[in-house]
Amino acid sequence: MPLETVKIPATAAAGDELDTLSAGLDRLQSEEDQRSSAWRTIVGKVLPPVVLLIVLLVAWQLYVVIAQPRPDLAPGPLQVAAALGDAWESGRLQEAVATSLERGILGFLIAIAVGTPLGMLLAEWKVLRRAAGPLISGLQVLPSVAWVPAAIIWFGLSDATVYFVILMGAIPSIVNGLLSGIDQVPPQLRRAGVVLGASRWQLATAVILPAALPGYLAGLKQGWAFSWRSLMAAEIITGAGTMGFGVGTMLQQTRELADLAGVLGTILVILAIGILIELVLFGPLERRLLRSRGLAPGGAR
Amino acid sequence: MTGAPDSSLSREGSLSLEGVRGASLLAPSFDGVAPVAPPSAPVEPIVRIDHVSKRFGSGPLVLDDISLDIAPGEFVCLLGASGCGKSTLLNLIAGLEPVTSGAISVPSTGAAVMFQESALMPWLTARRNVELALRLRGVPRSERREEALRLLGTVNLADAGDKRPHELSGGMRQRVALARALAQDRSVLLMDEPFAALDAITRDLLHEELERVWRATGRTIVFVTHNVREAARLGQRVILLSSRPGRIAREWKLGGTAGRRIESPEVSALAAEITTELREEIRRNAA
Repeated sequence: MPLETVKIPATAAAGDELDTLSAGLDRLQSEEDQRSSAWRTIVGKVLPPVVLLIVLLVAWQLYVVIAQPRPDLAPGPLQVAAALGDAWESGRLQEAVATSLERGILGFLIAIAVGTPLGMLLAEWKVLRRAAGPLISGLQVLPSVAWVPAAIIWFGLSDATVYFVILMGAIPSIVNGLLSGIDQVPPQLRRAGVVLGASRWQLATAVILPAALPGYLAGLKQGWAFSWRSLMAAEIITGAGTMGFGVGTMLQQTRELADLAGVLGTILVILAIGILIELVLFGPLERRLLRSRGLAPGGAR
Repeated sequence: MTGAPDSSLSREGSLSLEGVRGASLLAPSFDGVAPVAPPSAPVEPIVRIDHVSKRFGSGPLVLDDISLDIAPGEFVCLLGASGCGKSTLLNLIAGLEPVTSGAISVPSTGAAVMFQESALMPWLTARRNVELALRLRGVPRSERREEALRLLGTVNLADAGDKRPHELSGGMRQRVALARALAQDRSVLLMDEPFAALDAITRDLLHEELERVWRATGRTIVFVTHNVREAARLGQRVILLSSRPGRIAREWKLGGTAGRRIESPEVSALAAEITTELREEIRRNAA
């Protein structure tokens, strides 16, 4: 057979030299690849946002210096930084960030634990899906702040109120993400699983869930965004009370003190935390996931 | 690649359904050489399709009273125009669809199936895809890796084990899918137009690859195609289905199929004969 005759000279005749040559070539190419791509990453991805940030800060500072607005209505970046510095020195900033992150992450994890099985149940049980689908979509659109008054009446000014609002915000997103992920599983993969003799459970764990992972991750990402927003809303509305001191509480307190520099500083902290979570957690996770399936723009190679 | 002369093609005239199994009526071959009695005749069939009909819901009849016996180790091509129900018949054999009437008997382990799209799991490497089939078959974890590599070796892909499907060409993906189907270790392999989406050069090589695998593994292969040359190139038996409803229109039996190539004259001759018959079937639909 010609296939064999093609193969034999490649292994026997050309021998070790070809192996070493190609191995060396592979290494050269991959190393060059990495260097150029690392450099390109810095130039192409890290530089633009940093430059924009600096431009915005400079413009802000120039506006304050040139236009000389009332400092209590338009504080400059330095004043905001000073306000944050004060909050840091008194330990309030660290406490607020730690408290809010703890609540946000814990609430998010609970939402995952509740939303994932719920989504799987809805995906597999068509009648339930038809019945509850519109409700879930509606809940996703409903701003979860709307739950705060009810939650305060039910749970008082306690952590339970905060977690309740987070869950109401995050669970519908996670469920919907998982559902759309499962809906988008190519039917031929499902069929391949059946043909390979997978049981119902094996089909779910070995085929459908991994195939639905990109949609699920998108749902998780949105779920986190909703968790974080809901948390801030809940903290702002409930104020300190008997609860711990979160970033939202800090925002509310600085407002009560008419400390605009503090308010803006706190907003920047909230923004920074959102960006940081995206940069260190969801971004890389999503990129890796898509790249491993050849879905990322610009691909693996 | 021995003894059997190239011209030993023979065919069984089987316009009527009952003629299919008996193999008693052997018409002279189109090239005039005396027909060779099929070696598979006395063997107990591995797949028996017994007066099977199929309709979806209350729709028209898709398959009408199909009866077909397939001997162990046979390479059978199901050929027909679009909409003749050949893929439906394959799905029935695979157990993916219930029959409306009649019965199909397959080995108790079932049959392995390969589709037009490779349907490889995109998040798994080639080796892991094969290992998944081994896992679902119940092969212990410690043996999977080695077995998967061996199977990839049988389709000449031993070096591509760590590549993911999107890094492979279409032909390589279908070979991984073939390795995965072989991993199921079922004696019957059903193939539903597996090479239809490939370019002609790749398909030609895959025909040889498939024939080699078939001879090496002794699988029984049922190969659905709408490509007449492909059927003439690969099959030991070519079964032509008529359209709407699908019935067995005619059957050709071929001896001494080793060494056949897509460009071989006997393949061309058989393809021409099948095409004539196929056009006759299609013309009937116009009336």
